[in-house]
Amino acid sequence: MSVAAASVRAPADPKWTPAQRYRRSLWLLTSRDLRVRYSTNALGWLWSVLDPLLMAAIYWFVFTQVFHRGVDHPPYIVFLLTGLLPWTWFSGAINDSAKAFTRDAKLIRSTTIPRSIWVTRIVLSKGIEFLFSLPVLVLFVVVSLFTDEPARLDWQLLLFPLAIVLQAILTTGVGLIVAPLVVFFRDLERAVRLVLRFGFYATPIIFSLGDLGRVHPSLEVIASLNPLSGIVGIYRAGFFDEPIDWLATAIGTAVSLVLLAVGLLVFRRTVPAVLKEI
Amino acid sequence: MTSVDSPAADAAAREPGAAVISVRGAGIRFRRNRTSRRSFKDLFSSRGRRARPGEFWPLRGVDFEVRAGEAIGVVGRNGQGKSTLLKLVAQVMIPDEGAVDVRGGVAPLIEITGGFVNDLTVRDNVYLTAGLHGMSKAEIDAAFDEIIDFAEIPDFVDTPYKHLSSGMKVRIAFAVVSRLDEPIMLVDEVLAVGDKAFKAKCYRRIDEMLAQGRTLFFVSHSERDLLRFCTRGLYLDKGRLVLDAGIKEVVDRYNDDYAPKK
Repeated sequence: MSVAAASVRAPADPKWTPAQRYRRSLWLLTSRDLRVRYSTNALGWLWSVLDPLLMAAIYWFVFTQVFHRGVDHPPYIVFLLTGLLPWTWFSGAINDSAKAFTRDAKLIRSTTIPRSIWVTRIVLSKGIEFLFSLPVLVLFVVVSLFTDEPARLDWQLLLFPLAIVLQAILTTGVGLIVAPLVVFFRDLERAVRLVLRFGFYATPIIFSLGDLGRVHPSLEVIASLNPLSGIVGIYRAGFFDEPIDWLATAIGTAVSLVLLAVGLLVFRRTVPAVLKEI
Repeated sequence: MTSVDSPAADAAAREPGAAVISVRGAGIRFRRNRTSRRSFKDLFSSRGRRARPGEFWPLRGVDFEVRAGEAIGVVGRNGQGKSTLLKLVAQVMIPDEGAVDVRGGVAPLIEITGGFVNDLTVRDNVYLTAGLHGMSKAEIDAAFDEIIDFAEIPDFVDTPYKHLSSGMKVRIAFAVVSRLDEPIMLVDEVLAVGDKAFKAKCYRRIDEMLAQGRTLFFVSHSERDLLRFCTRGLYLDKGRLVLDAGIKEVVDRYNDDYAPKK
């Protein structure tokens, strides 16, 4: 047994600036999330793509084979995946944010790291899973090039990272609002699931904003207010002929930034009460 | 409330005689029962309002200052605010009124097993917990063998945490948190668990840390432990700090107030 008292103070003692500390803790928890997910499941990575992939296959079959619709957006499978993969990130992160404080209550009660990390680490780990799922999209894009309905590739592909940044901002904002409120109103956890299910159809994932406009022009306007409409539009811009909808993009950006500001405010005001409650 | 945790603050916190913890008029308010109504307005209204029915203050108007190297024992019956005070000092709770200033890092030996993840191995858990408390990877590398050694679980390094016995879980958690290089340590009854031999080892570890000039904040019901480690006592009763004096005086006063009925 060596309880070396002399070695207690390490020679070089790197203490951290707040920003360093935030980054380090965020990364520690994010990698813990990913490691837990991948070490406890034999299929690991496959699970994170299986869900959107299966949904894409189903919608593709229903709309192109059964109803012969959706052909306005060839290749429809690429159209679906550019909506479904980001949606999986968003809904997964919000669902987990709803449990952020309850699931790790003990750890939160024993460390003093900045509390917003409990949300941002979810956004980050789900975001990394999203990035890992992109090869699937690439695969279908490449395959489509050999069919008579190839995906069009143009300079707007460069906007793809912008969409990722916007979605990260939006998801963080919503997560920061949802996470503390669920602690006080436990029913909210179910409400969140319900709203997300509705949100899936209120977001242009299996159809486009233009399709909605053909049902009724006002629907297109209403759907544009959903920040995800603009964001999904940017994801798709590089693959399809449809011109980018700048109005929806501008609204999406503005709403995302506002939600982040609101989220930071709500979070800061509620954290003392959250710490008492968990 | 402020918390300064920088190299300079840490160095200052090791300077004997410097104030490391100052608590000024601190109070915290809880709801009496979980079901009482809570409105959105409640959440956003500013802190420090009058108490309302269904609310109570487990701790209020507490004032004291701790200088570097002091060993403070907190005394009081169950439910008089001892653990709440510790949580305020650990900064895992935020006071509703007043302020708690802690200069220098804190090694909280409270809820020590909380950070451990069942599905990860002991090794991963050590890196995670120590990392969250601010140790760098190189520091953990250097301390790793000693931590495992102290916890006496060399054969379980790559075992998932959930497969450890409850005694082992506490041992490894204590080994990690007590190895943190922080000038202030908080101890809350963790020593009640574990077998006799390990308890003795924990005591030795605390003795060593005190000898290095660290500040100790100790909550216990054990008179012997209090007298052994502490020099100064804080006596909490009904959420108020009723006596702040030498440990002997505080323990005597506590015994007078709540002498066991014979």
